[in-house]
Amino acid sequence: MNTLAKFIKEQRQTKPILLMTHVIYGYPSIDESLQMMKTLLEKGASILEVQFPFSDPVADGPVITNACHQALESQPKLQQCLKDISALAAAFPNSKVLLMSYLNPLLQYGFKQLAEDMSPHVGGVIIPDLPIDHHKMLEPLLQAKVDPIWLIIPGMNKERIELVCENARGLLYCVSRKGVTGQGSDSQSAHQQLQQYLGEINQHTNVPLALGFGISSAADVSGIAGLVDVAVVGSALLRAHQDGGLSGFADKADELLSAAS
Amino acid sequence: MSDHGYFGQYGGSFIPEILYSSQQQLLKHYREAMADPSFIADVKREMQQYSGRPTPLTHCANLSAQIGGAQIYLKREDLNHSGAHKMNNVIGQGLLTKRMGKKRVIAETGAGQHGVATALISARLGLECTIYMGAHDIARQYPNVFWMKQLGATVVPVTTGSQTLKDALDEALRDWTSSFEDTHYLIGTSCGCEPFPEMVAGFQSVIGEEVKEQAMAQIGAMPDKIYACVGGGSNACGIFLPFVGTDTELIGIEAGGRGDGVGEHAKRFNTDQAKFGISQGYATMFLQDEQGQLAPTHSISAGLDYVGVSPILADLSDRGLVRMSSALDTEVVAAFKQLMLAEGIIAAMESSHAIAGGLREAASLDPSQNIVINVSGRGDKDIFTIASALEDEPFKDFLRSYLEGQD
Repeated sequence: MNTLAKFIKEQRQTKPILLMTHVIYGYPSIDESLQMMKTLLEKGASILEVQFPFSDPVADGPVITNACHQALESQPKLQQCLKDISALAAAFPNSKVLLMSYLNPLLQYGFKQLAEDMSPHVGGVIIPDLPIDHHKMLEPLLQAKVDPIWLIIPGMNKERIELVCENARGLLYCVSRKGVTGQGSDSQSAHQQLQQYLGEINQHTNVPLALGFGISSAADVSGIAGLVDVAVVGSALLRAHQDGGLSGFADKADELLSAAS
Repeated sequence: MSDHGYFGQYGGSFIPEILYSSQQQLLKHYREAMADPSFIADVKREMQQYSGRPTPLTHCANLSAQIGGAQIYLKREDLNHSGAHKMNNVIGQGLLTKRMGKKRVIAETGAGQHGVATALISARLGLECTIYMGAHDIARQYPNVFWMKQLGATVVPVTTGSQTLKDALDEALRDWTSSFEDTHYLIGTSCGCEPFPEMVAGFQSVIGEEVKEQAMAQIGAMPDKIYACVGGGSNACGIFLPFVGTDTELIGIEAGGRGDGVGEHAKRFNTDQAKFGISQGYATMFLQDEQGQLAPTHSISAGLDYVGVSPILADLSDRGLVRMSSALDTEVVAAFKQLMLAEGIIAAMESSHAIAGGLREAASLDPSQNIVINVSGRGDKDIFTIASALEDEPFKDFLRSYLEGQD
């Protein structure tokens, strides 16, 4: 079993669910985003997902999209981002730091270079506009023991779930509802549907599962404990920062983490 | 025509997983429809009876004499219903939407021509219609927005990013990820994931097919050269594809804008500011910076103001089957005026790029040679932009008194 999966299984011995938190590199500024990352790691967030901003983030909703555009005004560089987050990861060995970005910035950087610069501290990458059909593009990452983290969505056919599971490493990111990030679901029967959906995925893989899209409160996190290993919090922390600055952000992190300890 | 949506190294499908099943459904229905003679007959009938096809091939005797080179012919896509070639594509995709049993279409639009065409066909076919348009473009092209709204469409201003066509496309994709069950994404140009480039180019190929017949009937020979403006590339694909591999030379004219600075033009060829990239669902030449961020663009015509280009044209250019050139904003306005005064034809600013490119090269050709320029759309929609470019003071007076009269 590889490092990320092993880490998650070990952490799960003592925690009901792990939290995967999200920060955009460069929003509202590079320094402040690094401060936000540090805050989360100091508070004990198990997994930190750092989004390197892209001009055309088609799988993100308005909150993250606008924040990415603002982040781009400080002209962030991927090389520096990897240096910065590698340093953070090295300083917090009890947490894992993952990279998230869209295909084009990573493609221009080159996957071989990316593998070299992510390894050994940044252990995984999420690329929402890279379908599983193109998994061979990420071969250099596998060689450097960096895990590509693939998405599973509701309604995906069995063959395709199998294809994803065959290639799954470290963590599988299960989307809880259709659509883009940052819009919650209120449906009553949602829990039952979720159980069925995750059950099917578990039939095909032993890789830990993360569940994301629409998780914004401690209650949401508690609600899925026992169903998956990791709860993914995306735009909720960003919104807390927009409403209350760094202290609002820290309060929200405390709230969410209380459900994951 | 394409292998998994690839054209050489370009094209393909790079979409969020959430769109996979919707794309597969579209592929299946599209292939079935294209193999069904009754669907093809429906498309042909609507093109004739609703849009007024075939559009004429017009010989420009005065303009040819002025230039003193090749004989200049214009393919009159401006005479389509809606005033642009966009109608060809929306008829095809609109009928496909009905065939798939979907009730709603969404579309992105730059200049608004595709938005208006989509709103028109939606009214005719009884489809619900939502148009995404950059806030910056809405400000430039309000008359088109007015008509979309009157036709019953919902126009959503896109205020993210550069607030132009690429951002409208992103936003339409976001809508589609949460609405694909009852909604078809009616892309306006031959870009995006499989099968959109092939499908849009296919519905537009009626342009080139007609030119072949008309050239034989009117000239007695195939044209020596064909010129088309290139934004996303649908009118160029439409007129070029039936001629690929023949003796006719095919020339695409991009928006040279104000010059070669970053953000001053929309050239994806003949510039080192554009590189192979993957975004918006497909691989092509994208204008981008060294970090892979898509770059800002400028053109006097909103319809050419796009950061990527049809993967079909990127491949044809690589293979030397299409030659890419460009025209500056100033050349475009001059060509627009020259055609208007010589022949009484008001071309769109987009199409005036092709005219500028054609006129520039026609002079050095022999009078026995023939060129065809695609007039992809009519220019009366550009009245505000053109009045401003021509510095027409009475137009401003008119606008002032119009506003005063409203009070």
